[in-house]
This record gives sequence, structure tokens and C-alpha cells, in this order.
Amino acid sequence: MTREVLGVAKTNLFSKIKDFIRSDAFIFLFPAIILIIVFFFIPIVVSVYMSFTPLKNWNIARYIHEFVGFENYWRFFYMVTHDPTVRPIFITTIVFILVTLAINVLGGLGLAIATFFMGEREAGSTQLLWLLPRMTPIAVYSMIWYYFFHGSAIGTLNSILMSLGIIHKPIDWGQSIIPWGPWLIIIFVNGLVGVSYGMIVFTSAISNIPKELVIAARVDGASNWSITKNILIPLLKWHIVYVTTWQMLSLLTTYDHIFLLVEWGLVNRYYGTTWALYIYNMAFTAAEKDLGLAAAAGVILVIVGAILGLLALKILGFDKMVKEPRGDI
Amino acid sequence: MSAGLRDIELRSRKTEILMVVTALMFSIPLILGYGLLILSSFSKEMVTNLNPKDFIPTLRNWFLFFEGRTAVFGGIRVNIWHIVLNTLIVALGVSFLVTLVGSMTGYAVSRLRFSGRKKFMALLMLLHAFPGSVMVVGIYFLYLMFLPSYQMVRLYSFFFVIVARASLEIPMATWLMKGFFDMIPWEVEWAALVDGASRFKVWRRIILPMVKPGVAAVMLFGFLAGWMDIIYVRTFLVDQTLATWIESNINAEYSYLPLVAAAGTFYLLPTIIFFLLAQRLIFTISATGVKG
Repeated sequence: MTREVLGVAKTNLFSKIKDFIRSDAFIFLFPAIILIIVFFFIPIVVSVYMSFTPLKNWNIARYIHEFVGFENYWRFFYMVTHDPTVRPIFITTIVFILVTLAINVLGGLGLAIATFFMGEREAGSTQLLWLLPRMTPIAVYSMIWYYFFHGSAIGTLNSILMSLGIIHKPIDWGQSIIPWGPWLIIIFVNGLVGVSYGMIVFTSAISNIPKELVIAARVDGASNWSITKNILIPLLKWHIVYVTTWQMLSLLTTYDHIFLLVEWGLVNRYYGTTWALYIYNMAFTAAEKDLGLAAAAGVILVIVGAILGLLALKILGFDKMVKEPRGDI
Repeated sequence: MSAGLRDIELRSRKTEILMVVTALMFSIPLILGYGLLILSSFSKEMVTNLNPKDFIPTLRNWFLFFEGRTAVFGGIRVNIWHIVLNTLIVALGVSFLVTLVGSMTGYAVSRLRFSGRKKFMALLMLLHAFPGSVMVVGIYFLYLMFLPSYQMVRLYSFFFVIVARASLEIPMATWLMKGFFDMIPWEVEWAALVDGASRFKVWRRIILPMVKPGVAAVMLFGFLAGWMDIIYVRTFLVDQTLATWIESNINAEYSYLPLVAAAGTFYLLPTIIFFLLAQRLIFTISATGVKG
């Protein structure tokens, strides 16, 4: 009987696929499906494969047929628990995600509410200004903060503090104040990029709130604070959850804005590197590119990301969010 | 910016000023950072130390930059226009591919009923949780597996970097275009379909011209995505772009920093131009792009 049920399920799936290929949707989805398979799924499969080989320095011909089982994973766990150069990366990742997430969500909310109370032109300029970090070429963006936090007297932060008399000689923020110096810099740099996401979502959500609510409250003499607390925030609850989960996933996987800061030596290599960046550097910039290890660290990150991602979809009630297309023929 | 709610009617002037001042205070580092970079590109010395004495106005950095003389001493010369062209090729390639694939996928997701539609949309969201650095490792493996003969490598690397970088933007482009397709009344489409046109024809001839702002938006975002990228370019591309040029010049011994600042300002130009030209567009799209 089980076999019969399985058989039915199989033909169902098979006929489903066949129906799909024959449908109009197939033509439209074909390019995207190919690209997603080639540039999202196959690379992950390849990474899983690589994590079971002793691949080094991209010498594929030599190592690719050797298998070492789970050795890379054990090595990775051992390094995380014992190696003083790898352990900081995990603490950094956790601190980085939590603090940046708080800044992103609260900053985005603050900006959205502040611009709500402004005139149209001021609001527009403020929003554009805060969108700038996201749209700036990463190399230029890194360069700006490289000079801002530079450890010598050329650094903007140092010269401000020195002219105010708070410090007397330049401080090498990213290299000498371990761990909070490098943490502060990477959190600041990524925080500014992330704030705009929350700002956009919250602003568009606020603009959908019925106008009458706010006007009625105003007529009743409500203050800005009570309008914010009693009307705006409660109506934004879902959006706050959405931005928080989405940003958390972004922060778990982001590495491009920190990459140059580490490479240029602005921040400490160990306390300025997150998990995602560690994988990239192990695979591409390290003197000895230990790809088996990089892939193993990567596979674990993929699993963590997938679990958090699925959890996020559950929390957000994705099923209810998606509506069927109306009146399709 | 949006047509919706603004708290104009009963808001006091004082609150508004307070809000603007607060927002401005938080924006100081941002304004300072961008401002000093641009200012330094017109000065003989870097002015990031806020010392007005170091600001000696000159256009020399820009001349040197455009001549490709990237160090004041020594004979180091690069063809900077070649580097700009490389950056431009990548940006335009990504823009084109993202627009094409995004408008097709967005249409399907917005208008067509197919089995697994919900799952496909959930997948698009989940792709966001895929760690980029892990994918780059796998993609580089593929890159090496299909490496062509020596003469073709440069061409291959351009093609590869464009397709790979564009793939990253598919979820964004799809959601964005879906938002625009959702706004078109169904009656338009029904009329065409009843007349016997195929779905593809309807999309290309009737629907696509109606979402021109959406197409423009995706093109713009795709362009910026390709233009600003550093990781994919430095990993896959044989030739240099502005990003990798800045990467290798910022703390090289021979670097003349105000010149690098000029390069950075030049690299920033498209962003600034888009901000000036398409303010409204940028914000409305950013808003539609994130709505389910």
C-alpha cells in the first residue's frame, strides 16, 4: 500500500513538472531558473563537495579526488574552540550582528518617524542622504571611513578629538584598542549601510497608515511622542519584525563592506573579521589557501543561514503574505 | 516623498525644526566623510584632518588622474580610460541582464498561476540568506573548471563576472518588477489575450511598455550594482576596474593620496548623478522593492 501511495506521489510530481514545462510560466521563468541553479545551487553543492577534500591553493587537479571525510569539520571545530586567531572571529560575528542589528532597526525607525514629522522637502533630502551609503561604490565607501578612522593625525576622528583636547596624540582605533576599537568601526560602517533598509520599509508603511488616525489624535491634542508611541509603533509591529529578521540574515552573510577595511589594515585582522569574511579570505587572500577548511566553515554558515531564513519565513507568516494572482486565464 | 500620509496639517513649526536638527546631527559623520573626500580631490594635501591650512586648491590631481599618471614620481602610468571602460562594461552588462531576467520573472510571478508559485517566491526570499562568500568559493571552482584557452581568458572573465554578478540581483529585480506589474489593470491584458495574442507577445508588446518606470528603475539599480561591485570583480575579472584600482592604490608606497581621492570622487559620480536626476524614482522604487 505504501508503494502505491509513493507511486501516486511520484507521478504527481512528474506530471506537475511536465505541466509546468508546458505552461506559459516556463518561458518566463526559464532564464531565472537557469541562473539560480548555476550561480546559487551548484556553488553550494560544490562547496559541500570541497569540504570533504583536502583542496589547497586551488590546485584542483591534484586534490579533488582525495577524500578526508569529516576531517575539515573537526579541524574547524577544534580551531573555533582552541585557536586564538579563529575564536575572536566568532565572538566578533555575534557582537557585530547583535549591535549592528539594533542600530539598523532603531536607526531606521528613528529616521522614518523623524522624517514623518518633517516637511516634504526636508524629509526627502534626509532620506536621500541616508540612502547614499547603500548606493556608493564599496571601494569609495571604504575609503571614506578609512580616512575617517585612520590611526594617524590624518584621521578625521583623531583630529576632531585632538582639537577638542580630549586626546593628545592620535589613537590607532582599529588596531590598538582590542576588541572594541575594530568592533566599533565595523559596526559603524555597516550600521550606516543597513539603516536605509529599515528607513525605506518603515517610511512606506507609515505612508499607508490612514491619515484620519493622526489628524484625529492631533485634534485631541496628542503630542508627537504619544502619536509615535500609540499610533505609529503599534501599526508598524509587523514591519519591525520583518526588518529585524531580514537584516539579521543580511548581517550574517555580509562581508564586502568590511573586506577592504581589513585588507588595508584599518581594523585588526582577527577582531575585524566576521565569519563570512573569514571564509572569503581563507579561500582567496590567505597565504596558504586552505579550501577544504574554508568550504567546511562555509557549509556550516549555509546551514545556519537556511535555518534562520526558514524560521524568518515562518515568523513572518509568508503564506499569508503572498496572494494568488487575480483573474488569470 | 510618497503620496500618502504627511503630518502637515497640524504639526508645529518647532517640532519640525527640532526633527531636522536632530537628523542633521546624526548625519554629521556622513556629510563629513563624503565632503572631505570630495574636497581632498581638489587639494594638494588630504584635508581629512580638518586643517584649513592643508586645503590648497588645485586641479592637478584630476589632470594627473586623467593622464593616468597615478604616482607623482616614478614612471608609473596606467591607462585610466581603459579601467573606466572595464568598469562600464561590467556595469552595463549586469544592468542589461538583470533587467531582462527581472522583467520576465517579475511578470510570471505577478501575473501567471503556476504550480510552485508560492514556493518560488519563498525561494527568492531565501536566496537572500545564502552567504555570498560561500557562493563565491563554489563559483570560483566552476570558473576554473570551464577556463578556456589563454587567448580567450579575458573575454571569458568579463562574461563570467557579468552573469555571476547579475544572478545575485535577480531576487531584488524580480520583487521590484512584480510591484510594477501588479499595478497594471488586468483588463489591458485580457483584451489582448482574448484577441489571440500569445502570452509572450502580450508581455513584450503591451505590458512591458506600460512599466517603463519599472524597467528604468531596474536598469539603474543593475547598473549601480555592477558599477559598485568589488568582490566579484577582484575575484573573477582579469582586467582592473576602478574598484580594484583603488584597492591596490590606497596604501601602496608610491601612492599620492589626493589623486586616489580624485579617483574615488570620479568613481562616485554615477551615484551622485543618479541621485540628482532620479531622486523620486530611487525612493519610490526602494519602497516598492521591499513590499511583499
